[in-house]
Amino acid sequence: MSGRARILVIEDEASIRRLICRALDLNGYAAAEAGNAGQALALVEKMLPDVVILDLGLPDRDGSELLPRLKQSGAAVLVLTARDEIAEKVAVLDAGADDYVTKPFDTDELLARVRTCLRRRGAGVGERPRIAAGDLLIDLDRRQVVRDGEEIHLTPNEYELLAELARHAGRVLTHAHLLRAVWGPAHQDDVEYLRVTVRSLRRKLEPDPGQPALIRNEPGVGYRLQP
Amino acid sequence: MAGLPALSRPWGPRRGWTDYGWSALAIVLLTAVAKAVEPWIGYPSIDLFYLLPVILAATFFGLRPGVATAIASGVFYNFFFIPPQHTFHIHDPQDVATVIVLVIVAIVISQLAGRVRAQAEANERRAKENAVIAAFTGTLAALSDETETAQAICSEIARLFDVEAVLLAPRRDGLSLIAATPDRVALDADAHSAASAACGEGDDGAVAVPTESDWRFRPIEGGLGTMAVVGIRGPRSIELLARAGSDLFAAIVERAARAYERLRVEEEIRGVDALRERERLRSTLLSSIGHDLRTPLTALTAAAEALAAREEHSDLVSTIRGEAKRLKRFFDDLIDMTRIESGSLAPRAEPVDLTDAASAAVDDLRLAMEAHHVRVDVPPNLPLVRTDPNLLHHILINLLDNAAKFSPAGSEVRLQGEEMEGGVELCVTDEGPGLPAGREAMVFDTFARLEGSDRTGGTGLGLAIVKGFAEAMGLRVGAANRRGRHGARLSIFFPAKLVVPTSGADG
Repeated sequence: MSGRARILVIEDEASIRRLICRALDLNGYAAAEAGNAGQALALVEKMLPDVVILDLGLPDRDGSELLPRLKQSGAAVLVLTARDEIAEKVAVLDAGADDYVTKPFDTDELLARVRTCLRRRGAGVGERPRIAAGDLLIDLDRRQVVRDGEEIHLTPNEYELLAELARHAGRVLTHAHLLRAVWGPAHQDDVEYLRVTVRSLRRKLEPDPGQPALIRNEPGVGYRLQP
Repeated sequence: MAGLPALSRPWGPRRGWTDYGWSALAIVLLTAVAKAVEPWIGYPSIDLFYLLPVILAATFFGLRPGVATAIASGVFYNFFFIPPQHTFHIHDPQDVATVIVLVIVAIVISQLAGRVRAQAEANERRAKENAVIAAFTGTLAALSDETETAQAICSEIARLFDVEAVLLAPRRDGLSLIAATPDRVALDADAHSAASAACGEGDDGAVAVPTESDWRFRPIEGGLGTMAVVGIRGPRSIELLARAGSDLFAAIVERAARAYERLRVEEEIRGVDALRERERLRSTLLSSIGHDLRTPLTALTAAAEALAAREEHSDLVSTIRGEAKRLKRFFDDLIDMTRIESGSLAPRAEPVDLTDAASAAVDDLRLAMEAHHVRVDVPPNLPLVRTDPNLLHHILINLLDNAAKFSPAGSEVRLQGEEMEGGVELCVTDEGPGLPAGREAMVFDTFARLEGSDRTGGTGLGLAIVKGFAEAMGLRVGAANRRGRHGARLSIFFPAKLVVPTSGADG
């Protein structure tokens, strides 16, 4: 990445669009804005953004229809949603969005999510064999989890779950995504498997399993590994 | 209705002098024929000839013309054929027997024929009645308005039974006249009270309501109770109302009741449709509040934050930020409450780890509870519970937020989870003033606030939402004061049927 990170803001409400762009500018990003899907697609081709902030309620098309095109361009997508609906969040995450923020949001919160997206992108998903999370080191090549030089023994399912979370560290992975990745497509609705395995992982990894800090839960949506 | 004949007096056999005339003619003609053939067959066989007019008369004209024909036949036979001819003397007892047999034949045949005729007449009457009823039913089916239906009922009854007819139905201020035939029928007070009596008394009052009035009333009733009263006045009114008086009248009233029932059901369906439409409007309104109000609020918040970045210490800017946050909470509370009260909550239960739920809620309220010590004690070995994670999240946020609002800065707020007899409990305790003794549970009522504690604002809906969400998911809520200490203890309880049995399986 050379120079400032490029961020495209797709939002139909002009005042919000301008405010987000201002905040991005002030924080050293190169921001561009689009008020509808048509403009957005044209701009994506031209500027190749690192991160796209996408509002779902666009005048010409539903924002979620843009998701595949945006992902194709290689950008990380941060979805803005006005509806506090779990189903919608799960749907956009499953469609490839990297994260979501519910309106009205704190600018600080939005900036923090943008940073997470950029960090993940900079790291390059899948190219990093070793991921640090808290005081843990997860070695994807050797399938090892190490704390203070000592290997922690995990069952195969525990390891697969942790590895999937680690590959997308900082990003919410939906229940269905995790269940598919670890147990296979036939089990994508067996949330109970996930709960039980997350529990046993926490028992082995968290300093205080009663107040989990490493594997965080988004109620009804999924889990994220706190990097 | 117009094409159908009115049903008048009962049909009977025509009894006129013409019957006797025809019978006499038949006897005369037969006598002439018999006279002509007598030379060949002899007089004793002629008596058989006389069976013919007797049978004809008895069959077509009934008993009396039949018997008269039998006697006349006997007389003719005697006079013209039995020797001595042209006198009424009978010498042979066999000839006396002939006359008697003729009379008996006439009686028997007229009885049989009468029975057949009565049957045919009854069938014909029934067919006519059925046609009348079918036509009436058809007429009623085409109507979807109560007044028109009532008018159709009245005019049909008036036409069929040759009476005056009225129809009254209960209205908010008592029975009122809906339709009448003829148009300008007025009911006096007596008639009105008779109608009310018929309306109120139901089944047994149907027959004879004691009344000073010359109107007679009968309730129109069905599965929905008494829907109206029909009244008639005329020479036949008492006969028609007697239990066995008129099947046709009973059938007409019965059809009227069906029509009324149908109108009621249609009315209710229209009501349900209206309700559904209202519900649709409400949910449209909810989602538009959700979207359209959040958007300006987002702009407001973002603008305030941009301002704050420039003027760090401005009170005004922090007021704007704070109030925008409060406004958002108001909207959220209102939307949640509306969802509860409209019954449009659709909880989606899945196995939930309460440790997860607790830490997510505490995490979300980090900023709002900065001034408090938050202690979370939800052990990670509690069983999973089947519940809607999103609604549970809102419940916990509201409970924690409530505790923070009503307890002093620097005090401790605890969120605890415990498995106990018959289920799992989550409770939030604070070190505030506690709840008014004896009225603890009222804290969950809509707009309930603790005495003198509206200092921190809020819609007063937070705990009502907790209760609404909890009940929608089959949880119980509890409110109490902490034992031996200041502070409130609010809890939600997951009964055993929501607790996921521990499988012990590890993925």
